[in-house]
Amino acid sequence: MNNLTSSDVIIFVWAGLLIILLLIGFIIFFVISYRHKQDDYNLLQEQKQKIDAQKVTLENTLTDLKDAQAQLIQSEKMASLGELTAGIAHEIQNPLNFVNNFSDVNQELAEELKTELRKPIAERDVHFEESILNDIKANEAKINQHGKRADAIVKSMLQHSRKNTGVKELTDINALCDEYFRLSYHGLRAKDKSFNAALETSFDESIGKIKVIPQEIGRVILNLLTNAFYACTERLAQSRAEVSRIAINDKNKIGDENYMPTVKIATKKLGNKIEIRVEDNGNGIPLAVQNKIFQPFFTTKPAGQGTGLGLSLSYDIIKAHGGELNLQTKEGIGTTFIIILPA
Amino acid sequence: MFSEFCHSFYYSSLIVAAYTCLLLFYKADAPFRWLALLVIVTLASESIAKYLAFKTGNNSIVYHIFTPIEYFFYANIFSRFLKNKSWNVFLIASVVVLVILEFLNTKYLQPLNEDNTNIMIFENILLIFLSLMLFVNIRTLHESDNILQEGVFWFNSMALIYYTFNFLIWGFHGLKVYQFLNPPMVIYNINLLLGALLYLVYILAIILNVLHKRKPLPVHE
Repeated sequence: MNNLTSSDVIIFVWAGLLIILLLIGFIIFFVISYRHKQDDYNLLQEQKQKIDAQKVTLENTLTDLKDAQAQLIQSEKMASLGELTAGIAHEIQNPLNFVNNFSDVNQELAEELKTELRKPIAERDVHFEESILNDIKANEAKINQHGKRADAIVKSMLQHSRKNTGVKELTDINALCDEYFRLSYHGLRAKDKSFNAALETSFDESIGKIKVIPQEIGRVILNLLTNAFYACTERLAQSRAEVSRIAINDKNKIGDENYMPTVKIATKKLGNKIEIRVEDNGNGIPLAVQNKIFQPFFTTKPAGQGTGLGLSLSYDIIKAHGGELNLQTKEGIGTTFIIILPA
Repeated sequence: MFSEFCHSFYYSSLIVAAYTCLLLFYKADAPFRWLALLVIVTLASESIAKYLAFKTGNNSIVYHIFTPIEYFFYANIFSRFLKNKSWNVFLIASVVVLVILEFLNTKYLQPLNEDNTNIMIFENILLIFLSLMLFVNIRTLHESDNILQEGVFWFNSMALIYYTFNFLIWGFHGLKVYQFLNPPMVIYNINLLLGALLYLVYILAIILNVLHKRKPLPVHE
């Protein structure tokens, strides 16, 4: 290697200074790039803060919505209880009438027996006394039977209004359906005395008892039945209005004077599942709203008459039971809701 | 004349820096305390070197000892800035390697009466690499509205400039020594000026750290 000259040293010094300048350039570039990054970061932080604030607002809104939902569910429950009240009153009135009538009869029979017992022994008719006693006994049995019936109705009402425990218990689905079928019908009758409907039941006794939360399934059945009766009432009202407007012999119109509201409830065993069908011959559900009826707050009833939560809650309840809630409907013919529950 | 000025400026800066470091030592964060210690140790080693040069005419032995110590201090500083397990492992390993190389270099290549330029060059390469990595780390993880107010930025910038130039100097010095020539003093004078600047900037870094204390860099495993 040759010796380095002074010009080589100068080149070296200049090269060194150049490298220092390059490094300073690098550092300046770093500062600029860092500032850009920091600006982006600050912008991101600002957006994050905004998003966080929105998140808090949304969370608060969600909490409010949940509270409102809970209140609405309670309202819906109370509304269904209200619908039941008239039916319950009617249902209790019947056994009470029986109890009153039979106790009156028993009083008369007791008087007759007293009169008979006051007679001299020779004149007394032992067979007649026995017959009176038998009648009294039979009447007492009836009083007891109707008393129990009233007791069952009150218990059923209490069960419906009771806070849901969420515990599944073996439940006689047929009895549950029958109970709510009558209660909902009489409830409607109590509101509109002129309303009459044919009630049809078809219970499959082989389904036995299945594990469900009775309050919840009761609520679903009551809701479907209330809707069924409502649909029939609507169609009946339309028919009456039409009849008053069109010629009586125009049989093709909906305003058919022969229209008889009919609601049918049926149960059926399907292997390891059971089916509950609630059928009405109301107006049916228009195609346009069929996919909306299970949405919360959707209702076709006039304002103030429905919360729009009935079918939505029913759907949720049946889903929570691992079942299905299906719909079959035809405009002008009627609607059938089919509940399928695991047995 | 220029050479004397450079020497005076260098030692004055070092004394001022060491004094400031003593004053601010307890107020600074951990990495800057290590930096303060480094400045003080440097002053001590430079004083000994000056004394030996005056007494014996050869102070190379000081740099044989001081270079690994200096790198040990830097390794501590960088490990506290980088705060990463992998980097810690690398830094510990690099200290060990540097000490071993220093020993081998002293035994076989550059004995105690010669400057240990080989090890200085190796140290410079390591410090340049660490400095660049710290820039990446700052760019990725550091959050500051004004990077110019961050002590770590000034420390790292000056370390990068100084040790890059130092790397060239010692390379050149090695080349000249192998050719048995007296190296041109202008290069060493520039190096002395840069050295003085280095310690002044280190003071700036420590002062900024004390003034703008901030939470440490986030740890990422």
